[in-house]
Amino acid sequence: MAAKFKICVLVCVLILILSGCKTGKRELNDLALVMAVGLDKGSSEGLIKVTTQIARPSDARGQTGAPSGQTGDPIWSASAEGETIFQAIRNLSTFSSRRVFWAHNLIIVINEKLAKEGIREIIDFFTRNPELRMRTWVAVTPNKASEVVSTVTGLEVVPGEALDKLFRYTPISVQAPRTQILDLQASYLSESTEPILARLRLVNRGVSNKKPGQEGGYKQVELAGAGVFKGDKLVGTLKPFEVRSVLPFLEAMDTGMLILHCPDDKQKKITVELRNQKFKVIPSFKNNKPAFTVSYQTDGSVVEAACPFSLEERAKVDAIEREMEQEKKKEFEKLVRRAQKELNSDFLELGKVFHNRYPVEWRRIHSQWETIFPTVEIKVKTMAKVKDTVLLKNQTKSGRINK
Amino acid sequence: MQKVRISNGMFMALIINMVYAKAIGLTQGSIAREVGGDMWISTFFSSIQGCLMMLLTIYVIRQSPESNILGQSELLLGKWFGKIISLILFLFFVGAAGAVYTTFVYHLKDYFLPEAPTIIFVIAGFIIAVFALYHGIEVIGRMALIGVFSILMLNILIIFGSIRDFDIRELMPLFQYGVLPDLWASRHNNTDWAMATMMAAVILPMVKEKNTWKRSGALGIVLGGAFVIIWPILETGVLTAEVAGQYIVSCMQMARSAQIGLFFHRYEMIMIAFFSLSALTQIIMTFFCAAVSIQNLIGMKSHKPAILPASLILSGFGYWVVLDHHRAIDYIETYWVTLAMSIAIGIPLMVLVLGFIFRKKLKQSKSASM
Repeated sequence: MAAKFKICVLVCVLILILSGCKTGKRELNDLALVMAVGLDKGSSEGLIKVTTQIARPSDARGQTGAPSGQTGDPIWSASAEGETIFQAIRNLSTFSSRRVFWAHNLIIVINEKLAKEGIREIIDFFTRNPELRMRTWVAVTPNKASEVVSTVTGLEVVPGEALDKLFRYTPISVQAPRTQILDLQASYLSESTEPILARLRLVNRGVSNKKPGQEGGYKQVELAGAGVFKGDKLVGTLKPFEVRSVLPFLEAMDTGMLILHCPDDKQKKITVELRNQKFKVIPSFKNNKPAFTVSYQTDGSVVEAACPFSLEERAKVDAIEREMEQEKKKEFEKLVRRAQKELNSDFLELGKVFHNRYPVEWRRIHSQWETIFPTVEIKVKTMAKVKDTVLLKNQTKSGRINK
Repeated sequence: MQKVRISNGMFMALIINMVYAKAIGLTQGSIAREVGGDMWISTFFSSIQGCLMMLLTIYVIRQSPESNILGQSELLLGKWFGKIISLILFLFFVGAAGAVYTTFVYHLKDYFLPEAPTIIFVIAGFIIAVFALYHGIEVIGRMALIGVFSILMLNILIIFGSIRDFDIRELMPLFQYGVLPDLWASRHNNTDWAMATMMAAVILPMVKEKNTWKRSGALGIVLGGAFVIIWPILETGVLTAEVAGQYIVSCMQMARSAQIGLFFHRYEMIMIAFFSLSALTQIIMTFFCAAVSIQNLIGMKSHKPAILPASLILSGFGYWVVLDHHRAIDYIETYWVTLAMSIAIGIPLMVLVLGFIFRKKLKQSKSASM
């Protein structure tokens, strides 16, 4: 009996202290679930503007977003300014009826003007905060970040979710790197690698179903290359076509594509999908100086041809393969030149690669890496093979002889 | 009265649980701050050292298998020497409470309930540990067996959740800081093994199969080491050593970064659910060993009356340590290392040497017990 009494008392005590009833509780109804956050420069010098895109769960139900909360708007965007991000968020609470909750945030968008001045406090705040996911996407934008996070894009009801999906499917579009807060933090803390972030921009490309004549009538967010940093400051941007050469340095590659000239008719185009891409950066140490060889191999699959093309015509295949190799070589060389001469930023992780292979030599040069990097020799070797034409064996050409 | 016994499997499970919770998080953060990407090599070195420490402890206890290190000290140089060793061991477990409470409280408070008062977590740990202790070591041993299952599950989940983002280049180059700095950094993980070996020094006589003590102890360390070493490898390959070194509890950062598919992400809750048994086992066993030390110090017949005062002292110290993050980390990385290493290596070595000198006394006690 006494034992049962003790257990009852213990259970009661545990219920009281472990249920979270006393402190630290957060009711779902009291939370403002942030889905995306935008950071811009404030209205006056030294201020930062934080825009949060907050989901209205009752109005964001279902795939179509059919309103049930009677407001018709699945998100609520709220902005506030402060001298620091934390203060700006605290200022949000002066007019937000609910407590801002970051755990569901999908993306952080930083305006480029702000990024040019430095993002150290942004990295610090978002990696220090226990609510945020380390897999939150981070991007820069030339537009107002507040506008980007409030723009409904694609099929999604909540803009943050749409931006999340843009990133999820970038391995197909290959228009921007898939940068997350963890990558940003890691590259910022690294002694050699510089951060690189995806770039988003607003474009007038939406077509209204109700007014199809007004094509491009409303704005949509699109992936638009990358922003390159030196330390915590944005020093330049890469165009989407440049990004496809950056990605092999940073991530595992999925597919890619090249648009080439038809061997017989330079006016016509032939599209090759790049598959089984193999990429390697081989460091070496010559004359007390680091050097690198970038080796790239790919298989090509002809997915679209505006001219007759078949694998049986070896001369044409060889011509396509040579053009693929030259094209990729040109892309890589241009990128490396930009990284070394124009941006002077090792966002390609070359220092890290050298450190891995030559740790002793790296110890000698790491403090001068910033001055050595623009002068290191980087050779590019490419090899391409066209191995299939998807489903078709024969050329697509008219059956009429004269055609 | 029949003596309480635990199986060799339970002993192994207690070793694994005793080392796991702190070793994967706070310890790895400390090691990463010193040797960066070599943190897994340092942890590997530490596992070897832990194995040696455990074998030494088992060898010492086997000199007189019916008495633990406290009883053996008394046997060798008399009552007062036994009491001095009891006091030293009690101080060791008080010190250990600072480290285990830091692990327990910072995992829960910093990542789940930052606004909750620290005392809530200390009281929760205290109540659970005292409750378990009144049920006895066998119940704790069984709980530790479930704890091993939880550890295994957590490790499998973290591997699945992070393998996609694993970059082996982050582990290179090997020995980037050199062999000696890696070896020196292993002292942080050695303190975790020290808790396990000192626990073994107290509870070994309760383990059933004396003949397989060595095997169980070594296997416990090898398995514990294998469960632990997965974490620095993943933390380096996924987070990078620089990021792991930024945080107090680096394993929770690892959990925050893990995901399987789209809907199974943010492992913090899963992590807490699976690792809590290990964290609680650490608290329970430090309380238990401290209570046994008090029992020997005062000369009580049973350790049970000492449970409450010992637990209160340990919790009080733990509370004081965790109240200030800077103090907690400073304590774990400096004072606790000195205290733990000097006691965990010094005491078994001293008893071993004394055992050689006073062989006859030990032989007499051994034959009397047979």
